[in-house]
Amino acid sequence: MNKNLFFSILIFLPLITLSQKRTLLIGGTAYVGNGDKIENSVICIEGEKIDFIANSSEIKIDPTAFDTIIRLHGKFIYPSFILPNSRLGITEIDAVRATHDFREVGSFNPHVRTKIAYNTDSKIIGTLRTNGILVSQVAPIGGLFSGQSSVFYLDGNNWENAVCKSDDGIHLNWPRSYNKSGWWAEPGESKRNKEYQQKVLKIEHYLDKASSYFNNNGEKIDIKMESMKGLFDGNKTLYVHADYYTEIIDAIDLLKKKKIKKIVLVGGEEALMAKKTIKNNNINVILNRVHRLPSKAGSSIYEPYTQAKLLHENEILFCFSYEGDMEVMGSRNLPFTAGTSVAYGLDYNIAVKSLTLNAAKILGIDNELGSLEAGKEATFFISDGDALDIMSNNLFLAFIKGETIKLTNHQTELYEKFK
Amino acid sequence: MKKISSLLIFILSTSICLCQETFPTNGVENNYKSPIAFVNAKIHQSSSKVIEHGMMLVQDDKILSVGDSITIPKNAIIKDLNGDFIYPSFIELISDFGIEAPTKTEFSYTPQYESKKTGPYHWNQSIKPEVNASSIYKYDGDDATKYINNGFGMVLSHQNDGIFRGNGTLIIISDKRQNQTIIEDKAATFYSFSKGVSRQRYPTSLMGSIALFKQTLLDAQWYEQTNKKELNLSLESYNQNKFLPKIFILNDETDYYRLFSIADEFEIDFIVKGNGKEFAVSDQLKKFNFPLVIPLNFPNAYDISNPVYTDWLSLKKLKEWELAPYNLNIIAKNKIPFAITSSDLKNKKDFLKNLRIAVNHGLKREDALKALTETPAKLINKYHLIGSIEAGKKANFIICSDDIFIEGDIYENWVDGERNVIKEKNNEDIRGYYTFNSTSLKDLFVEINGDIDKPKIKIPSLDSSWMSSHLKYNKLTFFSKQISFRAVCKIYNGLGEGRAQTKEGTTIDFVLTKDSSIVIKSKKTNNSNIDTVPPKQLKPNVSYGFEKLPKKNDVVLTNGTIWTNEKSGVLNRADIAFSNGKIVFVGKNIILSDVFSDTTSVQIIDATEKHITSGIIDEHSHIAISRGVNESSQAVTAEVSIGDVINSNDVNIYRQLAGGVTAAQLLHGSANPIGGQSALVKMKWGSLAEEMKIKSDVGFIKFALGENVKQSNWGAFNKFRFPQTRMGVEQVFYDAFFRAKNYKKEWEEYNKLSLRKKRNTTPPREDLELNILSEILDKKRFITCHSYVQSEINMLMHVGDSMGFTVNTFTHILEGYKVADKMKKHGAGGSTFSDWWAYKFEVNDAIPHNAALLNSAGVITAINSDDAEMGRRLNHEAAKAIKYGGVSKEDAWKMITLNPAKLLQLDKKMGSLKVGKDADIVIWSDEPLSIYAKVESTFVDGRLLFDHNYNEKLMSRDQKEKARIISKMATSRGEKQKIKFEKEDLYHCCKHRAINYYE
Repeated sequence: MNKNLFFSILIFLPLITLSQKRTLLIGGTAYVGNGDKIENSVICIEGEKIDFIANSSEIKIDPTAFDTIIRLHGKFIYPSFILPNSRLGITEIDAVRATHDFREVGSFNPHVRTKIAYNTDSKIIGTLRTNGILVSQVAPIGGLFSGQSSVFYLDGNNWENAVCKSDDGIHLNWPRSYNKSGWWAEPGESKRNKEYQQKVLKIEHYLDKASSYFNNNGEKIDIKMESMKGLFDGNKTLYVHADYYTEIIDAIDLLKKKKIKKIVLVGGEEALMAKKTIKNNNINVILNRVHRLPSKAGSSIYEPYTQAKLLHENEILFCFSYEGDMEVMGSRNLPFTAGTSVAYGLDYNIAVKSLTLNAAKILGIDNELGSLEAGKEATFFISDGDALDIMSNNLFLAFIKGETIKLTNHQTELYEKFK
Repeated sequence: MKKISSLLIFILSTSICLCQETFPTNGVENNYKSPIAFVNAKIHQSSSKVIEHGMMLVQDDKILSVGDSITIPKNAIIKDLNGDFIYPSFIELISDFGIEAPTKTEFSYTPQYESKKTGPYHWNQSIKPEVNASSIYKYDGDDATKYINNGFGMVLSHQNDGIFRGNGTLIIISDKRQNQTIIEDKAATFYSFSKGVSRQRYPTSLMGSIALFKQTLLDAQWYEQTNKKELNLSLESYNQNKFLPKIFILNDETDYYRLFSIADEFEIDFIVKGNGKEFAVSDQLKKFNFPLVIPLNFPNAYDISNPVYTDWLSLKKLKEWELAPYNLNIIAKNKIPFAITSSDLKNKKDFLKNLRIAVNHGLKREDALKALTETPAKLINKYHLIGSIEAGKKANFIICSDDIFIEGDIYENWVDGERNVIKEKNNEDIRGYYTFNSTSLKDLFVEINGDIDKPKIKIPSLDSSWMSSHLKYNKLTFFSKQISFRAVCKIYNGLGEGRAQTKEGTTIDFVLTKDSSIVIKSKKTNNSNIDTVPPKQLKPNVSYGFEKLPKKNDVVLTNGTIWTNEKSGVLNRADIAFSNGKIVFVGKNIILSDVFSDTTSVQIIDATEKHITSGIIDEHSHIAISRGVNESSQAVTAEVSIGDVINSNDVNIYRQLAGGVTAAQLLHGSANPIGGQSALVKMKWGSLAEEMKIKSDVGFIKFALGENVKQSNWGAFNKFRFPQTRMGVEQVFYDAFFRAKNYKKEWEEYNKLSLRKKRNTTPPREDLELNILSEILDKKRFITCHSYVQSEINMLMHVGDSMGFTVNTFTHILEGYKVADKMKKHGAGGSTFSDWWAYKFEVNDAIPHNAALLNSAGVITAINSDDAEMGRRLNHEAAKAIKYGGVSKEDAWKMITLNPAKLLQLDKKMGSLKVGKDADIVIWSDEPLSIYAKVESTFVDGRLLFDHNYNEKLMSRDQKEKARIISKMATSRGEKQKIKFEKEDLYHCCKHRAINYYE
């Protein structure tokens, strides 16, 4: 395997550096991202875009029409895996407060934006790319309205050229109906949140105010209210973070009533219990990390593993995320959480689709990204083997907007140093 | 005979103490005590002795005689009890009656490491054997009434706080002068594992409490041997009172085995006050053999009206609710001596009610009476004085309307010969139909109905509705709002005479004559539908528990792909057999008769297309631990042991089995440079904590380095404990091991002495912490050290080399790749995270290639979880060694099986599939390192403890069982409690997340 890699690089690297105008990738098995798979594929990259993709048996190729031809027989091509709801680039080290740029003070901060805090040189970014994650939504956290997320390419010199979609949505943390006391070393017991209803009323009032502002064509600028306007004209998605049944149905009920155009549920630990409400209201879901423990001592031990399959069976559109403890550095394992879902019954192609096209749809970037289709951006990668399995997820090449990216990082550099 | 008894009475009556002899009297002396004779009573002298029509003679505070017929002196006041029941008054052993709770010192963010108590007392504020209950006792009238009303006459009261709580004092519940009411100044001593109000840091965990408990016992012994080298009034008090009964207050049923091992080690006979969940250890009670004092608090039924919330109700809680009323029944059946206490009842009025619930659930009435009288008296060696109704004993008894364990009321509670009226007895049932006659109103029909104590009255010709009425001592008053009619009359034997006042204000005299009684339906509750056989319990009694522990069968797995971890590597289409928990065959083409003497009972499992491996061993786990994984107080806490606090009910044990894990090292946390001892366990779901432990000649201990031990991320107020830097950490180790060396030397010198010389020499003080550190120097205990950066790893190896020990394992060891050659030279192994980094500053240079690099340097390398979630998919983590660094599949697999077995020195028994090794075997659906591999079956010591098909059955059984109990709950009466969200308590030593982000 290693030998092969070395050999391939030797052959193709000079070609790549010569010109990047038209590149042809032939022979790889392409997971299109829309649920299809093309064995023995040909993909043409022209500039930033995919010019065409086809099965090589169905198309005649004139080799002279390309600057570069890369043979990918035995390898696998996937659209970029997309990591939603991440703190990538706005935190570096969990224990070091100075590196935290994800939680603003106060409960109502719809105006703050991760876009301008995103650090393109975070050491963690490079460790995600090497596992196939080339695009991530970076979202704030905490409070009730925690602020606005943006979607980034995991390459770039500054936030301006790394951003893929600016201020794509506002994140609302639905209040928890219970509170947990203590900390990890001395966990306490959980108690009902007595202020739950009060907080829901506060959210309701805030949305009413925002709606009134939206309809008023403001004479006086209120920057918080200004930022909320997109929720009513459909320019911004409301990402509502809620895990438990009561919270999910309360949230959807209120947001629908308040005429929020685009709603995405984030978390959804008990999404299956609320599946009717979710489905009837056409809500898409960004799932909790699959690699988690079941919610209760008596829950099925496989509960987190089978959730994706069951949601799919119930025709609920979802994508995977990695929120939780140790999330930023751990999120490079996102593809494997999809792999686990496959082990527990989710169709492989649907798992890939959830990591790619469905995630793009949920983030509203599916016009450019999410699948290997003509006209879309050439943001995808090639793995030596099945990218959803740890043993074989090994990146051979990766492209962001038609450009190959570096597949080394802080960690591989240390590895090389001490090898 | 009669002569003798009258003589006895004479002697007794003259020997009655004229109390308060030393006190001057204000006024004239009033010391005539008339004898009182209670006749016509059903006297329960004790649980085994009942006199149907008995008499009892009492004078002053003593019972003079009791029997079928006794001589009653002429001057006796005679009380005809009309068939009422007499029992000995109850005795309460667990109480803080009249003793003020100690106040907590004000909260401060700054940690308190030293005792703030003034005086020559114990260094720890939760150790206070010097507390003398009688000197802080003050009669409390409100509380007294509660006890009296429930039938108690005596209380053993102590200050309910701390680990060593001092002594309890035996008190008569009476407001007389304390010189009379305190019967025994020091009647027992009290203990617990709860630190109480002390804000001193140590101990922060249950295991810390246990260690402190043991060390204090040792110190007390030592203090006796030394000539008061230093004055310590706490230890002195303990020694002075050490022959008193010892009562241990135990708040968690899983603490029984913990206390048992202390009792065993120190040969102490504890009396244990339980928590009402003794049913959970019912099959162990005989072995423990503690006399018990059991509370009567039963959990309220849950409010089950909301299906979303009932989802959160665990099977454990439901089963506990169902079993609680059977608790005393189960204890009694085990023939354990037990007393009953009202101590844990939030509402003391529930006492009789709950007592009757217990009786309805199969507790025998005799046993209940014994548990409230004879047993508590005997437990504190006072049966010669109290606890039964016998001549010469204290006049402590209750008079009840009926069998008190079934129904009825306590009328009177006589304490120390003084009468307390609880409920006035109505001598007559006045209910019936009467005729009302007066000069103006003639032949009116009257109905008196309702409760015997609270009858209602109606005179339809005056007022069609019930009048408000009140009955006291045969005097009935009644009043009609409608017609403003008020009346009062006395009723005896069906005849009432009284006066009434009409609306107009005229007063009339009237007579009521009873025509007929009302037929009263028996109100006895029909409890025949309560099954007195307790419901069955699971092992453990939680979700996924077994009805019966699976057997160690003879099993053959055939035609599978076997990952042997031995020279033979991976065998295709091979067979493996095990019997009685050990592997008996690994290879191809098994011939059953060659392997098994009896082939008929061999279970053959077709493993075609399956992969078979030895069980995963997690070198670093924190599951299945009770009440604290960190004794985070002091820098060195080698004395604490995770082995003391294993929780065999943790569902994570079952979940690990479902991930193919069969054994683990349960480690102390990383809050201090020298942490506590680890426990090596097998994931024996369904077994007891003690049975989970792996027998091994050597032990392990947790050390730690870096940010956690220097409290870098503990917030701004934790800047006081030494060490706060890596420089200090080194010195903590040197100091500890120099102390250990001196200690060893002291003991070696002492042990060399002749017996005669030993007698004249004060032995060194036994120190649990230094015992353990000495074991490290003696190579009987090995270190697993939490470590990250290369400088500190290097440092500890230098400490080890110079002090004469080897660091067995560096765990986490995230920069191990930088010093792999040094580790190899020192002889240390590494157990690492596969890919964690960037959660603390010190893990900036952690790389996922670490395992591969360590492995290639020849360091024994394992991959561990430190996390209940990751622990159940360690096969994924091993696969990362293939992805990052290109380790071979077999080598990667060894990192979670054979290599951790080597690091834990268990590789002779575990870690590979080889004849003679333990049958800890996992069947996988696929190549085990694949993300698509699922565990189908897990055997531990040959027992099938997880099977994916059986798992489905357990789930549906649990669902049915929950539904059954919930529907039972739906029909239960009484107060309801809200359902709590039961999120599990999970421990890690590394995870970090700074803020709780959600509102």
